[in-house]
Amino acid sequence: MEQLILKDFGEVVKTVTFRVRRYDPEKDDAPRYEEYRVPVQKGMTVLDGILYIKEHIDHTLSARYSCRMGICGSCGMIINGKERLACQTQILELGKDLIKVDPMGNYEVVKDLVPDLSKLFRNHQNVKPFIIRDEEEPKGEYLQTPGQRERYAMFTDCILCGLCLSACPTSASDELYLGPQALAQGFRYIADNRDLGFEERLNVLDSKHGVWRCHFSGACSEVCPKGVDPALAIQLLRQVMTTNVFVRFKQKGTETGPERKSVSGVS
Amino acid sequence: MTIENKKGWISWFNPFKYGSDRWMFALHRLTGIVLGLYLIAHVWETSNILNGQVTWNKIMVDLDYPFGVHFGPYILSLVLVAAVYHAFNGIRLTIVENGLMLPRPYRPEYPYKAKSLSGLNNVLKIVLGIFMIAVSAIGIIYIFTGVII
Repeated sequence: MEQLILKDFGEVVKTVTFRVRRYDPEKDDAPRYEEYRVPVQKGMTVLDGILYIKEHIDHTLSARYSCRMGICGSCGMIINGKERLACQTQILELGKDLIKVDPMGNYEVVKDLVPDLSKLFRNHQNVKPFIIRDEEEPKGEYLQTPGQRERYAMFTDCILCGLCLSACPTSASDELYLGPQALAQGFRYIADNRDLGFEERLNVLDSKHGVWRCHFSGACSEVCPKGVDPALAIQLLRQVMTTNVFVRFKQKGTETGPERKSVSGVS
Repeated sequence: MTIENKKGWISWFNPFKYGSDRWMFALHRLTGIVLGLYLIAHVWETSNILNGQVTWNKIMVDLDYPFGVHFGPYILSLVLVAAVYHAFNGIRLTIVENGLMLPRPYRPEYPYKAKSLSGLNNVLKIVLGIFMIAVSAIGIIYIFTGVII
C-alpha cells in the first residue's frame, strides 16, 4: 500500500519550457521574454516551477506569492493566455510543453511578474466596503437570519487577487472603471440587511465609470479562482439601480438585538 | 519605476479561453463597429442622388460590381448577418444586464463554474441563436433570389 502511494513521488515526469516575461526597471527599457527548462514532478504547480527557476537557474526572477494554496490571492498571473493563480495551476494539467507566464494585465508592472495592485485597492476602497450605520456606537448586535445572509454570502469569498480586473475587457480600455471586484463588493454591502449606506455609495457606483460600464462579457466570472461570480453581482446591482428609478430602493437596516452586558462588567 | 501594462482595446477581440459570453461580447463590439461604419457609408451613398440620375446609377452599379465582380449581394449579406446578430444579442443583453433570467446568489462549489454564464442565460443564447439563423437565412435568400419566404 505504501509502495503504491509513493510510486511516482519525486520522479521527474517530463521537462517543460517556461517562457517568462522579464522586466528589470534598473536595466531594461522594455519587457523581454526568457526561456527556462524546468523538470516537472507529479503535482507540481506553476508557482513551484517559478520557485524552481528562482532556486536553481535565475535568482533575479521576481514574483508575488505567499500561502501557496489559493487563499491569499497574491500569485495571480497570465498563464498560457488565461488569468490564473499560479499556485492552483498544475503544470501537467495544462498539458503543454511550453508554459507562457505573463504578469497580470491592466496593472502597472513593478518588476518581472509583480504587478502594482494599488488600482485594485483604491477601487475597493471607493465603494466603502464596510457596514454603514446611522448610530455612532452600536448598542447591541445586528440581527440577521441565515436566509438574509445567503443573499450576499457568495460575494464575501473574494480574496482580492485582482484576476478579474486583468481579464475584464472594459478595464483594458477604461482606466477609471471600478472593475468587477469593487462592483461585486459594492453589491455585497448593499444586499446586506444590516447596511444603510446605499445613498452614500450611489455617487461612486451609479456613474460613468461605475456599474453601467459593464458589458457582461463574463470573463471575470470565468477566471475567478474562488467562484465568486462578480458578473452576477454586477447585473444584480444594476437591477437594484434600475428599479431604484421607479421604486425608491430603501434599506431598512436590521434592528439591534437586546443590549448585552459583557462578562467582565465593562461594556 | 513601474511600466504600463494595459491590454488596450485590442484585447476586446481576444475572446479565446474565456468562454461563450466573452465570444459574444467580442462579436457584439465587432458588429457594432462594422454597422457604424456601414451607416456612414450608407448615408454618403444615398446622398449621391442629389447629383442627378446619371451619377446615382453609376454609383449603384459601382457598388454592386466592385472591381468588376458581382460582389454586391455578398457584402449586403454580411451586413445583414451583422445587423441580425447585433439586434438579437442586444435583446439578450437587455434581459440579462437587468438581472433577469439570472440565478439567485448561490454557494459556489468546486470546480467553481459560474452559474450566471450558464443556465437560463444559455437557454436564451440558444433560443435567440435559432431566431438569428432563421432571420439571416430568410434575408440572404431574399437578397439572392428576391423571394420572401
